[in-house]
Amino acid sequence: MLNHAEASEKFIEDAERTTWHDETLWFVRSKRDKVSKLLPEWEALREQASQIKDHTLANLGQYLEEFEANAKKNGIIVHWAKDAQEHNEIVHSIISKHGGKALVKSKSMLTEECHLNDFLTKKGVEVVDTDLGERIVQFRNEVPSHIVLPAIHLKKEDVGETFHEFLGTPKGNKDPQFLTEAARQHLRGYFLGANVAITGVNFAVAETGEFVVCTNEGNADMGAHLAKVHIACMGIEKMIPKRKDLGVFLRLLARSATGQLITTYSSHFAKPREGQEMHIVLVDNGRTRQLARDEFRNSLKCIRCAACFNTCPVYRRSGGHSYHQPVAGPIGSILAPNFDKSANVDLPFASTLCGSCSNVCPVKINIHEQLWFWRQDLMKDGLAPLGKSLSMKGMAFVFSNPTIFKMAGYMGRMVMRFAPFIVNNSLNPWFKQREMPEAPKESFQSWYKNRK
Amino acid sequence: MSSRSEIFGAIQALEKREIAHPGDFKSYKATQDVVGDFKNSLSIVGAICVDAENKQEAATRLSEIYPDLQRYTSQDVVANGLDLEAVDVLEIDGMFGVAENGAIWLSDQFLPNRVAPFICQHLVIYVAKSEIVATLHEVYERLDGNYADFGLFLSGPSKTADIEQSLVIGAHGARSLTVILV
Ligand code: SF4
Repeated sequence: MLNHAEASEKFIEDAERTTWHDETLWFVRSKRDKVSKLLPEWEALREQASQIKDHTLANLGQYLEEFEANAKKNGIIVHWAKDAQEHNEIVHSIISKHGGKALVKSKSMLTEECHLNDFLTKKGVEVVDTDLGERIVQFRNEVPSHIVLPAIHLKKEDVGETFHEFLGTPKGNKDPQFLTEAARQHLRGYFLGANVAITGVNFAVAETGEFVVCTNEGNADMGAHLAKVHIACMGIEKMIPKRKDLGVFLRLLARSATGQLITTYSSHFAKPREGQEMHIVLVDNGRTRQLARDEFRNSLKCIRCAACFNTCPVYRRSGGHSYHQPVAGPIGSILAPNFDKSANVDLPFASTLCGSCSNVCPVKINIHEQLWFWRQDLMKDGLAPLGKSLSMKGMAFVFSNPTIFKMAGYMGRMVMRFAPFIVNNSLNPWFKQREMPEAPKESFQSWYKNRK
Repeated sequence: MSSRSEIFGAIQALEKREIAHPGDFKSYKATQDVVGDFKNSLSIVGAICVDAENKQEAATRLSEIYPDLQRYTSQDVVANGLDLEAVDVLEIDGMFGVAENGAIWLSDQFLPNRVAPFICQHLVIYVAKSEIVATLHEVYERLDGNYADFGLFLSGPSKTADIEQSLVIGAHGARSLTVILV
């Protein structure tokens, strides 16, 4: 497997595409800025959401129990899974009882995390992803590169090619309107025929035992309301205490994600419809482990809006696949080492620690600080990539010693003035795609001392 | 040990932390003109908005917007959701409109079938001007205790931008939404 830096190098080979990716995501981020500024209470909402999630995580056991009791009262069948394997087995056992060979599935990052599609396919079940972006990447045998915009790494020419191959659309047609219509016709057939529908969950309300699913396309609802069996899969951190808390999160989610005022559909499922069977699978898969870690606990507050992706200078220029994880971007880089430290050592280093992610996060997760904490943790375990751990030790030494710090600054300026080739060479990865700046003649300290 | 007790065991083993719930959110009163704001939001989310004095006027406007298409209402009996596939235009009632985002609260008490607002080709929703509120918070307040078995906020026609971020109206749900203010 390629590490983040190697995979990014492949992504940026196509400069035009990288620029498009970078600018498009920045445009989404700007839309988020615009709509958030229309709400005078935006910052108060973020603070409220953050506090509700802190409170919920501190009382998670109690809220999970309350949710379970109310959901059962509502006629929902509740399952618990400690890990991905058990989650997949539970889902499969429900499907086999109903003899379904094909099922429709709307977006759920949890099922990506558990690799449910692979598991079911091996068991002979055809999984049809119904979110347009997810269907596109599924045809191409890829994984989503972004949690809200799964096919953002592709251009319309790519989609046109893929649909030509799988749906028989005319070769060379790359009109988004036309291609979307083709997907609508193709997927309607599956919606009308499926026995089982799987959806994700955006929020689960302890007080009422209901869960909320948000989409723009309407695919989750088309699946869930037509199928005889609805299975909703969720991580245990999706809990919120009360129905009134939903207002706070629904106001933040779409504005942060895409700059929309709200998603087209925010569906509240409390009871199965008559004759329908409704299941909910609550999954731990490492979440209680993260809950026990003081520095990383509040990564569980995440509502998966992807604002941190869209703003991240590294994500925008390296693409989601370079993170080799179902959840990419800054938050993915915090979650991944919790699953497997040594397989994900590169991710906490895939950041400039500029802090932009923390600034936009609607639930105020200190994302960039947690990336820094992971770096230290990985260093302690001797897992950090060698170059990084040497330079971090070096930096710590220089920063903690004022005389050496001054010396180092002097040396740096001299090198840049008289021997720039020492840094401007291909051995310094920082120099790739960059020009080194001209060095100032004087240090800040000496300028400050000498100023009149 | 069952997975359920393992999960609860892991949570209970953690040190107790006291963090209070911040209480209900008080939204700032930013707008007096909720109807005007609602109309503005509807245009942002791609819905058509019609002011109608009465049912007769609404009907006239609808036949202009959807000429040659047969219209159904919630009163037309529909045995199951699949039959709605053939419906071109469906007219239903919304409970509340939300000024800040153009969302309309629909409850399954007033729907012919849960899948109705999604499966029809075009959707028409009646909203009373007196039932338009400023923010989502007010809807939850007004609903207090009245929990539908299924309910939703619907804002605009279905849409996607999954192909190169070009907005396309009419993904899997309705291809258009007309809101009639009465
Ligand atoms: S960490 Fe914050 S900004 Fe990033 S996806 Fe989660 S909620 Fe959104």
